[in-house]
Amino acid sequence: MDLVIENLPFLLKGAYYTLLITVVSMFFGLIIGLIIAIARLKGNRILRGIARAYVSIIRGTPALVQIVIVYYGLVDYGIELGPLTAAYIALSINIGAYVSEAFRGAIQSIPKGQTEAALATGMTERQAMRRIIIPQAIRYAIPPLGNTFVGMLKETSLVSVIAVTELMRSAQLLVAQYYVYMPFYAAIAAMYWIMSTFFTFLLNKIEKRLSVY
Amino acid sequence: MIEIKNLQKNFGQHEILKNISLSIPAHQVVAVIGPSGSGKSTFLRCINGLETITGGTITVDGHVIDANASKKAQQKEIYAIRRKTGMVFQQFNLYPHKTAVQNVMEALLVVKKMPKEKAYSIAANLLEKVGLAAKEDAYPSQLSGGQQQRVAIARALAMEPKLMLFDEPTSALDPELVGEVLKVMKELAEDGMTMIIVTHEMKFARSAADRILFMADGVIVEDAKPAAFFEHPQTARAQKFLQQVTEF
Repeated sequence: MDLVIENLPFLLKGAYYTLLITVVSMFFGLIIGLIIAIARLKGNRILRGIARAYVSIIRGTPALVQIVIVYYGLVDYGIELGPLTAAYIALSINIGAYVSEAFRGAIQSIPKGQTEAALATGMTERQAMRRIIIPQAIRYAIPPLGNTFVGMLKETSLVSVIAVTELMRSAQLLVAQYYVYMPFYAAIAAMYWIMSTFFTFLLNKIEKRLSVY
Repeated sequence: MIEIKNLQKNFGQHEILKNISLSIPAHQVVAVIGPSGSGKSTFLRCINGLETITGGTITVDGHVIDANASKKAQQKEIYAIRRKTGMVFQQFNLYPHKTAVQNVMEALLVVKKMPKEKAYSIAANLLEKVGLAAKEDAYPSQLSGGQQQRVAIARALAMEPKLMLFDEPTSALDPELVGEVLKVMKELAEDGMTMIIVTHEMKFARSAADRILFMADGVIVEDAKPAAFFEHPQTARAQKFLQQVTEF
């Protein structure tokens, strides 16, 4: 316990990176996911095909494999990324696939009459999507997106394998230094749990607030 | 105002509208009645391009949707028609995430790119016109069906349409709420709006419309003045229909 308290600043720094990676990946994941969802629903055949293949490949392969491909695999093609950059890229691409499914489901759940009403007033398909459908879909998408976000918080532990010193690797480094396992691993488990619980709580609040109408 | 020539609409192998031709002058109020599945709603939805047409042409105020033209050319005409046409739906289709006044303002902001203050004053006026000045800030879920439908009418009027399409506007309403919607529609008719109304309200059709189109199986079976149609239906099909809807 003393060892944990003594090294708490180091662990907190790891937690900071875990949060940073989660938030950055989620941010880009949301953008990628929305684009992919719209491509799948409204794109021409080629775009739909690309979007479907992307979702299928990402969801059908382990995140760990995706991470090592981005970090190590690309080196073969002369692309050398820093560990943190590789983590951002791999996880954004990964999360984008899950986000797109959440958005797609939400967009499909909006009644067709909403689009028709918007079109009937003279809006283009694009305006109807942006002003009428997506704002409603985001509300429906928040519960699944919240789960994706909390899932991502835990998935970030995978980037420890490419030497990003987030929470998981911070603990591994301490374990290697002190030759004791349990205190450090138990401590980070508690920290992951606190962060997950906090975000779950926060998302429930947001969900409640958005369901005013 | 409206000129329809040889309009055909198929869903797959199924013929919904079979070679419909008619013209509707400005300021005319037309009620479209007939049994369900006769193609009334589809007919209405073709006019503002919510349904693509299989054959023929539809001309609204000089803009022509031609089934033989390219998709792109048709789309352009459809947008032009929609800017002159308002539509009211059976299920209201108000935007649930926007208040009553925001629902009415939306197209003014997005389509006409009007500044907010101007759009707001137009929207507030229209809500007053439909008797809902007090409900400006209410969300659709806080309004009764009749109130929602009146907001929907205000929303359609915001774009200053020359033509209003009503697709069974009172069919989803509780009986005691039908009157308030019909009253607003009647006022519109008296103001000289060109209107096409798909409806099951026979009394309203008879009193408010200038002309009745009776449709069955994808064709216009009768096209007559209300008094003539309701008193002396010419075809067996219309006679049977009127008997069924006026029974009890």
